[in-house]
Amino acid sequence: MFSIKEIVPFVVGLLLSTAALAQGDSFVFTPQWTAQAQFAGYYVAQEKGFYREAGIDVTIEHPSATQSAMSRLCKNECQATTMQLCQALEIVDGGIPLVNILQTSMNNAMVIVSARGKDPLTQKGARVGIWSVGFGQLAICMAGKDHLDYEWIRFAQNVNLFVAGALDATLAMSYNEYYQLMHAGVEVREENVYRFCDHGYNIQEDGVYVTRDYYNSHKEQAQRFANASRKGWEWAAQHPEETLDIVMRYVEKAHIATNRTMQRLMLQEVLRLQVDRESKKREFRLRPDMVQKASRLMKENRMLSREVKYEELTSPLPVKGEKGEKGEKVKK
Amino acid sequence: MIQWIRRKLSVRVSLWVVMFAAVIFITALSFFFYQARDAVRQEAISRATQILDNTSLRVESILNRVEVATNMTQWLIQRHPDNPDSMFVYSRGMLLNNPDFYNCSIAFDPYYFKDKGLYFSAYSKHDGDTIRTIQGGSDNYQYFYMDWYLMPKLLNKPCWTEPYMDFDAPTNTSNMVASYCDVIKDRQGKVIGAINTSLSLSWLSQTVSAVKPYPNSYSIMISRGGTYLVHPDTSKITRQTIFTQTLEQPDTALTGLGHAMQRGEDGMKQMTIDGMSCYVFYEPLGGTGCSMAIVCPESDIFGGFDRLRHTVDAIVVVGLLLMLYFFIHIITRELNPLRRLAEEAETIASGQFDAQLPAFRRIDEIGQLSHSFAGMQQSLVKYIEELKDTTSQKASIERDIRIASAIQMGMLPEKFPSKADSNDVQIYASLTPAKDVGGDLFDFYFRDEKLFFCIGDVSGKGVPASLFMAVTRAVFRTVSVRESMPDRIMATMNKIIADMNRSSMFVTLFVGVLDLPTGHLYYCNAGHDAPLLIGAGVGMLPCDSNIPVGFRPSWKYTLQEAHVFTGTTIFLFTDGLTEAMDANQSQFQMERVTNVASRALAQGHQEPRQLISEMTEAVHQFVGNAEQSDDLTMMAIQYIRQQSDVKLRKTLVLSNDTQEVPRLNDFATEVCEAVGLDSIVTMQVKLAIEEAVVNVMKYAYPQGTRGDVTIEAVSNDVRLKFTIIDSGKPFDPTVLPEVDTTLPAKERRIGGLGIHIVRQFMDSINYERSGNLNILAIRKNLTDNK
Repeated sequence: MFSIKEIVPFVVGLLLSTAALAQGDSFVFTPQWTAQAQFAGYYVAQEKGFYREAGIDVTIEHPSATQSAMSRLCKNECQATTMQLCQALEIVDGGIPLVNILQTSMNNAMVIVSARGKDPLTQKGARVGIWSVGFGQLAICMAGKDHLDYEWIRFAQNVNLFVAGALDATLAMSYNEYYQLMHAGVEVREENVYRFCDHGYNIQEDGVYVTRDYYNSHKEQAQRFANASRKGWEWAAQHPEETLDIVMRYVEKAHIATNRTMQRLMLQEVLRLQVDRESKKREFRLRPDMVQKASRLMKENRMLSREVKYEELTSPLPVKGEKGEKGEKVKK
Repeated sequence: MIQWIRRKLSVRVSLWVVMFAAVIFITALSFFFYQARDAVRQEAISRATQILDNTSLRVESILNRVEVATNMTQWLIQRHPDNPDSMFVYSRGMLLNNPDFYNCSIAFDPYYFKDKGLYFSAYSKHDGDTIRTIQGGSDNYQYFYMDWYLMPKLLNKPCWTEPYMDFDAPTNTSNMVASYCDVIKDRQGKVIGAINTSLSLSWLSQTVSAVKPYPNSYSIMISRGGTYLVHPDTSKITRQTIFTQTLEQPDTALTGLGHAMQRGEDGMKQMTIDGMSCYVFYEPLGGTGCSMAIVCPESDIFGGFDRLRHTVDAIVVVGLLLMLYFFIHIITRELNPLRRLAEEAETIASGQFDAQLPAFRRIDEIGQLSHSFAGMQQSLVKYIEELKDTTSQKASIERDIRIASAIQMGMLPEKFPSKADSNDVQIYASLTPAKDVGGDLFDFYFRDEKLFFCIGDVSGKGVPASLFMAVTRAVFRTVSVRESMPDRIMATMNKIIADMNRSSMFVTLFVGVLDLPTGHLYYCNAGHDAPLLIGAGVGMLPCDSNIPVGFRPSWKYTLQEAHVFTGTTIFLFTDGLTEAMDANQSQFQMERVTNVASRALAQGHQEPRQLISEMTEAVHQFVGNAEQSDDLTMMAIQYIRQQSDVKLRKTLVLSNDTQEVPRLNDFATEVCEAVGLDSIVTMQVKLAIEEAVVNVMKYAYPQGTRGDVTIEAVSNDVRLKFTIIDSGKPFDPTVLPEVDTTLPAKERRIGGLGIHIVRQFMDSINYERSGNLNILAIRKNLTDNK
């Protein structure tokens, strides 16, 4: 099957060819998906003027059908994007050093929803939907470890295949597809939901990443963006309905086929996921233990060629000697 | 209000009638409306179903063309799967032949055509009047992750995708399309790609939205995933599903509808949508997985029906109210005479019996009532007059009875001898009649040192009994003057009473004669309660069973005798004592009488007045407040004479020859001297003895027959007794015979005039017949004559 890794050489190529740096104080932020409550904190920071107060001129540009967030980052068309930790690990392993400037998610949101009221773990050899653009790393690790022999079906769109009965189970994000299934009238019961966070796979997800090059040259700007964004999220947590108003403005501007109810559910869940299970706080930090756990799991499953260290995502590192490894990865 | 209703018959009757009518109306109308409503509902269902069927058919016919065209192209491709460029021709041809199709893709697995690279998809689409045909796959459009490519492969059958918004980059337009897709297989049957023919759904939206069977009804269409494709609120289209609102506010009805539509069912549901009761009719649209529904507000379906119902309801209510008003009015008018009658009746009731009743010329019930009432008034007046007469008559009778009672009581002895005025007996009696006058009697009197007494109870009560009692008592007095033996007295009384007894009454009677000097008692009982003897103990006087007096004139009554010792009390009573009843109808009974008597005896209370007082008290205590059922009569006689010792006893026997009289005189003189009588009294005694003995000598024996006359003289301190005994024919000189004026004075027996001499000079005379002997005892008190 195809994976995000397929496009890494292409992306790296682009990155090298366009070495242009961001201009002045203008800062383009591209969330990894179309407008939705998943990115509420950034919309709030923008709308409430937190970015302006921080002295940065932020533009939020969503990816288009022809241009993904990652490609925009690589082309330097944007300065920051959101990414799941596992994706970031893959990209770093693929040779593009990234720096996590803000970690919003403290918990894993991925679930497997099984059709026909069955426990996903009993569905050996089942056809399970997985996003064609990545995100499913933990699921593949889990299925391999538990010898479930899932047949992964990569899909581009939402939950239609599952609803049409073409799949036995599907991966879903607890804040997005999980609600979409219910939205489509699927009766989701706890016994046919497998939550990765409850089974030793509680790996952080969304965080804001910039390229290490950009970080090195615009460290302060990146920090200011991160702080203002964090402020936006904290405000959102305190003012969910006003936040929802802001989200709906973005959603409508982008002609996204969704509604306030779905966005409310998503916002609630995203905010819940931001609270660390142990400290019960919005910590906004990458946890070294989770990075290590994810990195080792993915290495074991040969998704990574090496263990990517926590420090690689946070503190400065030499950029040399990355190209050699990249050549090996293409062969996988 | 309730008081008013209770007072007004007209209102009450009217209310009943109207209520009854209302019940009938409500029942009938309810049934009618229920049926009519059901009919309207059925009509709406069939109408909606028809519309849905028509729409569904139209949709299906178009969808069918897509499916047929796709299948034909698929067949062509599978015949020639090796030439990628011909795929462009096929896809273009599809749109050429079907101008209303939206686009067509014939796509293959990555690297299927080695020289075409990762992506190969022959894609044709209308572009204005021309058809644009290009290779459609790219990094930005990785078709093999698309639903239309995956779905038929996974389901292993042709299918329609979920409708989606197709963004056409060159024209920058969006179109809602649904794709029919199927797999493409190589000759070995291996899936190598997929064909997809799309149809713009704008026509479908228009068709479905145009369905509007009622003014306020609307249509909705949802996709397999529940997404609204048609909805009157356009903001919901593609953005919301039928389940959206149920995520935050559970609504089982809406969820149920959504699931039913998703499952491709058709049917009807009644539910509340946006606070409005609606009927929702739904039906699937071909094989697209879409389903359409017509939402009809109940008010629309039943609008006309409800207006009709409200009108009819109003008419019924108004009609019933009018009915109530008129009924009250008419009934009040009809009952008006009754009210006047009632007022008049009240006047009459207050005592004005001559009040004029209103005259109605009616022949109905009220007329009849008025008529009856007038009759009743007349009867009432008459009755009251009669009542007055009767009352005065009754008062007169009562007065008479009171007088009769006084007379009856007057007949009874009022003076009772007691110790103070008699040495022989003490007597006391009481008679308490149950009514003013009674049928009980008692009587006593003294004659020739004998106590004649009787007690009796006439059958029945009241005036007849009292008359019979008076007769009985009179007969007793009359008969006992001439007869000395109770059996003879009884027999004579029986004959007299039975002869004059036309009313078949009878009397139980006890007659006794107590010889005072000796205490010897002769008695005869005619069916009366046996008296008690209270002396050394309490015992009942043995009585023969004789029938009561008045039945059979020829009945032979038996004589019985007993000796009464000094101090003994004879207690006589009527059955009013033993049969005295208390409130529980139980009787006093003989046992209690005996007990009271025993108690009295034990306490030394056998003296008549005390005994009767105690007996009376005991009866009153027993009876309590119960009404006296029978006449109650008691009589007690206590013999108190003290016997003295004999001082002198001489006997003289003479033959029945008057020549023997001088011997008699000598004997008498000797006796009189012996007891110390003075000369005058001696003369009187001698004269009386001579009269009595000569009478025997002359008449006791038949003429020419010889017989003896024995004269015995016995004396004690107080009395001198001569006993004259003969064996001649029975003859009681003490009984007054009819005066036989035909005989010369000399031939008249003693008892005629002679007996008067004896009675005058002696203190008592007594006759007995014992065996074949006539025994005549004449006594002279010595205490007065010494």
